Amino acid sequence: MKKFTNLLVKEIRELITKQLVFSLVMFFVLFYFIGQLGKTEARRAAAAQKIAVLDLDESDVSQKLVQSLRPLYQVEAAKETSQEAAVNALRGSTTNFLLVIPAGFGESVARFEAKPVETFTFMRSFSLGAGRNSAVFRAVLTALNNYMSDEYLKQKIAGVAPENLKNPIKSKDFVIVKDRMAEGSAADITGFVFSQSVFIPVILMMIIIYSAQMVISAIAMEKQNKTLETLLTVPIRRTSIVTAKMLAAGLVGLLSAAIYMLGFRFYFSGFTGDMRAGTDVSQIIHKLGLALDAKALIVLGVSLFFAILCALAMATILGVLAEDFRSAQSLVMPMVFLVMIPYFISFFADFRTLSLPVKLFVLAIPFSHPFLAIQNIMLENYQPVIFGILYMLALFVVLVVIAARIFSTDKVLTMKLRWGRKKVVL
Amino acid sequence: MENILDVQGLRKFFGNLEALKGINFQVGKGEVFALIGPNGAGKTTALRIVATLLSPSDGKVTFLNHDLKKNPDKFRENISYLPEEAGAYRNLRGTDYLKFMARFYSGSEDKEKEFLERAQAIAGLGERLKDKVGTYSKGMVRKLLLARALMTRPALAILDEPTSGLDVINSLEVREIIKRFAREGISILLSSHNMLEIEFLSDRLALIDKGRILDQGTSRELKDKYQGPNLEIVFRSALR
Repeated sequence: MKKFTNLLVKEIRELITKQLVFSLVMFFVLFYFIGQLGKTEARRAAAAQKIAVLDLDESDVSQKLVQSLRPLYQVEAAKETSQEAAVNALRGSTTNFLLVIPAGFGESVARFEAKPVETFTFMRSFSLGAGRNSAVFRAVLTALNNYMSDEYLKQKIAGVAPENLKNPIKSKDFVIVKDRMAEGSAADITGFVFSQSVFIPVILMMIIIYSAQMVISAIAMEKQNKTLETLLTVPIRRTSIVTAKMLAAGLVGLLSAAIYMLGFRFYFSGFTGDMRAGTDVSQIIHKLGLALDAKALIVLGVSLFFAILCALAMATILGVLAEDFRSAQSLVMPMVFLVMIPYFISFFADFRTLSLPVKLFVLAIPFSHPFLAIQNIMLENYQPVIFGILYMLALFVVLVVIAARIFSTDKVLTMKLRWGRKKVVL
Repeated sequence: MENILDVQGLRKFFGNLEALKGINFQVGKGEVFALIGPNGAGKTTALRIVATLLSPSDGKVTFLNHDLKKNPDKFRENISYLPEEAGAYRNLRGTDYLKFMARFYSGSEDKEKEFLERAQAIAGLGERLKDKVGTYSKGMVRKLLLARALMTRPALAILDEPTSGLDVINSLEVREIIKRFAREGISILLSSHNMLEIEFLSDRLALIDKGRILDQGTSRELKDKYQGPNLEIVFRSALR
């Protein structure tokens, strides 16, 4: 055990280089900064917008129309007497929107031929926040149309609520998940679940790729620095050498992925965090049993753990083929592809609707199982998750046996991916 | 002299290539035995097999009465191997590297301390041992590795081209260190294509070419047999 610990500590020290620490810190700081910036922009966009209104009509109707906007927006009355003057006055201000109600608007409404109002949007930047400006006047016009149509209906059909005339059929929406039912919109629930679980596949992908890259590079660096031969002659079991490398890579990979994910979380929460706040969809989610409880997280964790083990064992075998650090980078690519396939399927396709050959192909990839497990756990389909874990366990055992055999024989020194050229050291 | 290493009929194939064609040699306790020959003769392959890195295709290798195929772990406990192009972990300090290697052989802290003190004396790198290996010159790395190989006082030190790539001064120092340890009773199996080095270091030697041992004996015996003033002439005569 003492020898193994000695080896493990060395492996971890070799992996945690200044360059790695620097890149992780820089990544975290950068994404935290971008996230905070996004959060500020999102707050600004979510706040009540300032709208300047130039009422050239000054009729009773136009004044009521302006009053109807006050609960929704910060309405400022423009003091200018023409549209040109109002536009010029707002050029240097921070107000981005101008609504102009033309003269004769009230009379035209009385004839049910309302004159068009004019909207002016000041584009002061082209950032993501500024892009939201386009939605503001759409919302303003919807509010105005609602107000006007309500007024029309009140005049024509007195005693009936305009809402009952415009939308005579009401609906109560229910969502059913297995034996549970809750009142709510399917679109809202899908959106909420997606926003809450969007990180899980990204975490899975990053941990798997990171750990694999670590172990392939660790073996390749031993070869490049000519330290592997010495290590293989010291009195420690070859399986301990393999295990120490896998364990160290797994730990450092996990740590790196955690820092990356924390950075991503700050980044994404900057844009989505405030929008989710205050919704009652989460209550419906709990009622439907779609929230990931402790048991669900443990099962998901076990599934992920075995996927990482498979990745480490595969990477160990691939690492033996690498001659140096550069060739190790290209050997990571097959692993990346194997992770990307289930990653994209989890985002863009429904596994249940795939054809049988494609299903079998996806299931044969060990990394598919934690991706598929997320939805299965939410829907309480634990059987396929357990089968996935058992499959990964069996595959891991096979891969470790292969890796240990390679390390116990000449192959650890003689196996090389040299694209047709053979090299033997005599 | 008691033999601690006995190699009989050793053969090694790499695919269809027969790198060793049934070689025999023995190394006695406290003896320096050298394999000399040109590049590609099979010296490194023979050393790698004894060091447990490669498995023999045929033949028998016995060390301290342990069979290589059956008990490679016993070999590893009692040998130390210095490969020709060996390196050390660049991110570790010299002392940390020596400590890391010492812990595989030492059962106690006292033993580890003893190994480290000996290694520091062999390496002769002084305060530079506190620096990271990545900052060392080639000569310094070689001395560090030699110190690593000898600090445990192994029953058999296997040294492949021990002065490879070193300048004259460093080569002389390394040869002196090897000679000193041999005098203290450590058996050494080494390879080199530097005939002068072999003549200076070895008690007995084997001339090897194309996977076969052409002849073996002491330097004096071989020079007498082939009527050569030095080992280079002896080797050329043996090839004929």
